Amino acid sequence: MKLRKVAALVMAAIMSMSLMACGSDTAETKASEAGNEGTQTEASAADAAGDGEQVVINFFHRWPNDPKNSMFQSLIEQYMEENPNVTINMDCILNDQYKEKIRMIVGTDEVPDVFSSWSGTFAQEMIATGNVAVLNDMYESDTEWSGAIAQASVDGFTFDGEIYAAPWSQDGKVFFYNKTIFEENNLEVPTTWTEFINVLDALQAAGYETPIVEGLADNWAILHYLGTMNQRMIDPDVLAADYEASTGEFTDPAYVTVLEKWQQLTSYMGETCVAIDHETARNTYFATGEAPIMYLQFAEITLLEQSLPDGFEYGFFNFPAFEEGKGDPNALTGAPEGFMISTKTKYPEECRKFLKWLVSKTGGEALTTQCGDISSVAGAVDETNALPAQLEAMEIISNASKLTPWFDNACNATVYTVYGQGAQAIATGDETPESVMQQVQEAAASLH
Amino acid sequence: MNKKRRIQAFLFVVPALVVLAVFVYVPLLSNIFNSLHSFGLSSTTKEWMGLANYKQLFTDKTILICLKNNILYAIISIIFQVGGGLVLAAVLEDVAFRKSAPIFRTIYFIPTILSMTVVCLLFEFIYNPQMGLLNSFLSTVGLDSLTKVWLGSKKTAMYAIIAVSQWQSFGYVTMLFIVAIQKIPHELYEAAEVDGAGKIQRFFSITVPQVRQMMFVTMVLTVVGAFTVFNEPYILTGGGPGTATEVLALYMYQTGFVKNNMGYASAIAMLIFVITAILSSVQFMTIGTEKEDR
Repeated sequence: MKLRKVAALVMAAIMSMSLMACGSDTAETKASEAGNEGTQTEASAADAAGDGEQVVINFFHRWPNDPKNSMFQSLIEQYMEENPNVTINMDCILNDQYKEKIRMIVGTDEVPDVFSSWSGTFAQEMIATGNVAVLNDMYESDTEWSGAIAQASVDGFTFDGEIYAAPWSQDGKVFFYNKTIFEENNLEVPTTWTEFINVLDALQAAGYETPIVEGLADNWAILHYLGTMNQRMIDPDVLAADYEASTGEFTDPAYVTVLEKWQQLTSYMGETCVAIDHETARNTYFATGEAPIMYLQFAEITLLEQSLPDGFEYGFFNFPAFEEGKGDPNALTGAPEGFMISTKTKYPEECRKFLKWLVSKTGGEALTTQCGDISSVAGAVDETNALPAQLEAMEIISNASKLTPWFDNACNATVYTVYGQGAQAIATGDETPESVMQQVQEAAASLH
Repeated sequence: MNKKRRIQAFLFVVPALVVLAVFVYVPLLSNIFNSLHSFGLSSTTKEWMGLANYKQLFTDKTILICLKNNILYAIISIIFQVGGGLVLAAVLEDVAFRKSAPIFRTIYFIPTILSMTVVCLLFEFIYNPQMGLLNSFLSTVGLDSLTKVWLGSKKTAMYAIIAVSQWQSFGYVTMLFIVAIQKIPHELYEAAEVDGAGKIQRFFSITVPQVRQMMFVTMVLTVVGAFTVFNEPYILTGGGPGTATEVLALYMYQTGFVKNNMGYASAIAMLIFVITAILSSVQFMTIGTEKEDR
């Protein structure tokens, strides 16, 4: 009996000790890690102040996939070789996870020194934490550097005259069309909605069951359409007020008209479009010539080229104007992405230097030639190292009267989620434009 | 003496209690706190909202869609997994299958060990309207009229998703029932056979009452699983088309991480917790009374 009691007590003691050991173990390692970090950064700070050595910059972006990841790797290695006193710690995770993580850390002391951001509402959300540095001085002090950056892209990160990021890439969305099919059927590039519908009818009559295609299972693809259509149709002042969370009402009847046009457009996309994603639509419909028109981003040019057969010729046209539209028909839907610097960084000067180096001809050329994205730096690429389509894209972006941000960067997520789901349901025939707008109005009202 | 023993017993459960407290109860309490506030992922302060988030729960139409889908999920899961699994287990344990049972058990169990993501991608291919296996099969056997845009139509999308879960979890539940059936004393079946009971009568009079405990366990598992399902709709449809395949867990995720409304997402989490807590405690209490009856 006594023995059993002792044994039980010993067991209990061992168990609780092992638990405590676990706990203290991690606590200790954490403490020592923190200690190391502390001494390291302290040491490096002292060094940096002393003889300009050992600067550590934490760099966080959203491209863990190749080719971008290896491009960043090699760019950073190159930079560290040129600047032996700088160590850049690069970390990256993909889109949605990146959004979650950066949102969680941007307001804390853990905020990375340099990190990537979308323009529009996402940038505003980052800035609202007060941890994003204003970079006006960086732009003003080096006009040779800042002069090469596309102004429309800088605008996407400018709020109340203060610039919060260096734009790195820019993108635009236009209709890509199959030139061969257009020529065979004697079709002209449409500039108005009526002409556009006529073209679609003509293509359908010529035997193309889906004259235009989109993967409607992807909500973002739908939102790209709606963002452009709203911009083309609705009075810019009304639109600006509605996209603002505190004043949004969405009561203008033109919104219903937009969704009616959307309904009309999806009727040309075939019934399978709601079950496929954007990539499938691009690869199995547009690239095969089954669908002659698709709404694509310039950033997709290299992806598209990979799946195109030889001799496939394609051209671009901007979203046609609505005859009754009140928005600027020469605007282009698209947005820049860029890098921000935190106010909490220990080395603001080193971060600025690194960012200027990255957003330059060197970085821009790597971006366009290796990854196919359009750089925001003028003259980063020319005929010798870029595809003709990419140069045409750069031309279109710089000629656009203004860049309209993606719908999901332009207004609150509560509104655009309802919008996207509703538009999807319109395509499947489960909702009407009126019922969707009513839901959007309710969602917008819930934000007041 | 008695008191000392009680302390000893307590010492044994302390480690488990601490782990549970840190990883279950503290988050639960902080979730209640969060659900009374309004904040986003990047916000540094939390704004007190009182019960406003809970009020919104009761007026939100999407919540109704979610509840409807979760209930549908639960009902179909009980019928197919618990009902079907039990029948299948009884068949496999029958003398006729003695030899081949291990092979079938393995075949039925394999889907369970596959990653949900892999299974979903596989089914995305099966459901593909143009080149998917399901539609190709239907048109090959001359049932063209039955081919559908499975995941793209409001009418079929939810059922298509539920079917994936049934396919995956069916084998697991069957396995649990097989274990339970193997524990039933053979004498019972032998006596019944002597008394002239047929196979079906033996199933209902011996197997079903004997595995009742396991039925409750699997019911708790499937119902709680049905109310916390996330992966399948997230990967297959993302809640679409429209909101046709929204379920509570997915809606909670979208509210918190897409719409950046963590307060309301916490309230939805509380709703899920309350539902699953009530359902499982009802089921646990039923088991409890069962024991006392004996």
